[in-house]
Amino acid sequence: MLTYTPGSTVVHRLDPRTKLCFQFGFAVAAFATPTVLRLAGLFVVGIASLSLSGLAIREALRAYWFVLLVLLLGPLIAAITLGSPWLRLDPAIESLRSVARIVPILFVSAAYIHATPVRDTRAAIQQTIPGRPGQLLGVGVALTFRYIPVLRDDLRQIRDAVSARGGDTRSMQDRTGRIATLILARALSHSDRLSVALQTRCFAWNPTLPRLEFARRDYLVLGATVLLAATVFVPL
Amino acid sequence: MITVDNLTHFFDGEPALDGVSLTIEDGEWVLLAGPNGSGKTTLVRHFNALFEPDSGEVTVDGTPAGDDPVAARTSVGMVFQSPRDQFVAATVGADVAFGPENLGLDHDEIDRRVEAALAAVQMAGREDERIDSLSGGEQARVAIAGALAMEPDHLVLDEPFAGLDWPAQRSVLRQLDDRYAEGMSIVVVTHDVRDLLSRADSVVGLRDGSVVFDLPPEQARDRLSEIDVRTPGDSSD
Repeated sequence: MLTYTPGSTVVHRLDPRTKLCFQFGFAVAAFATPTVLRLAGLFVVGIASLSLSGLAIREALRAYWFVLLVLLLGPLIAAITLGSPWLRLDPAIESLRSVARIVPILFVSAAYIHATPVRDTRAAIQQTIPGRPGQLLGVGVALTFRYIPVLRDDLRQIRDAVSARGGDTRSMQDRTGRIATLILARALSHSDRLSVALQTRCFAWNPTLPRLEFARRDYLVLGATVLLAATVFVPL
Repeated sequence: MITVDNLTHFFDGEPALDGVSLTIEDGEWVLLAGPNGSGKTTLVRHFNALFEPDSGEVTVDGTPAGDDPVAARTSVGMVFQSPRDQFVAATVGADVAFGPENLGLDHDEIDRRVEAALAAVQMAGREDERIDSLSGGEQARVAIAGALAMEPDHLVLDEPFAGLDWPAQRSVLRQLDDRYAEGMSIVVVTHDVRDLLSRADSVVGLRDGSVVFDLPPEQARDRLSEIDVRTPGDSSD
């Protein structure tokens, strides 16, 4: 799964505020009219982001396989009609164009997650959004990123435990209910323990956050972000 | 010094601690021994004001823990049974820095503390490593470093050897020996005193929320059977 991986790539060295800004600009460009040319450009930039962060494209695809599967359902459903001719190509292509915009956005977000420490994200959020809203959002994002790998581990352990005792023979409904109940119980138990750990280590809403500094490369990326977002106004 | 005076704590009307009194001197190595459910973990959570007493009082360095929780939590470093529950960051350096950051220290001081804490547990230079890539023993050492970065006077470890193989246990024991030699008081919560008895200055036996004995190890040795803990020479029979 995608998590921060220490490294020294150019994306790792960028200020997290720059990276967040780039993601925003990229999303704006992606949600503009999805012409084939624009889509191709977005894919190039998305894949370049992955490459520059040192994350293999297959890793990003593996991490987002479920999202990609759901996205693929869109064109499929759009193609189906309830009567003759049963399948129509034009709505499917239109839907494919729409959902295809999401894929390069996922690539850019994967590069961000791979190359940005969570506490840098928290610092960027708290420095960008002042006061309690920024603190709440920063802490929320930090805890979410902390929690997802733990819950995924739990899910895997529960599924293994169910399978180890022949649970695979039970109905899907039974297994789903069992796993959902257990994962909820474990999530609550983890949150209790994490809360104690946070108190023990003097949790503060406004701690000393990592130093964030813009360097020359940040200004270059910010400039590129503005140009990227401005392509919305260019007919491509 | 940590003093516990006639401490009582109830869970759902049932006493988890019932009139517990004890003193942990500065620089002392104390074993809190007892079976599951004897109140060991509940007791140590009072040391840094994670719980409020229903009656009685816990003071840390002369101040009631509940009056100044931050001071109590700074003075009493706590390492939990499962390091996984203690980690709040993905990398070693970020996790160890978490406590000092919360204290609002400046960056230079945070860096110094992280460096010193990691050096103390033989993890120097490994700030950028992912915690989930470490072995169980290394994770236990990072958890100790996280507590040491608060520069505590007392270090409390709740079942620190649970799930660790012998090399990892030995490694953690070495860290504790070093901290003890530096003058830090060490409190180990355990139900297995085999490798700890010879190190302790005193052993507090707990059962059903009460102190059964509080003795030097040579005297406590004969009474360990009263609290059903695993002792040197015990077999599984």
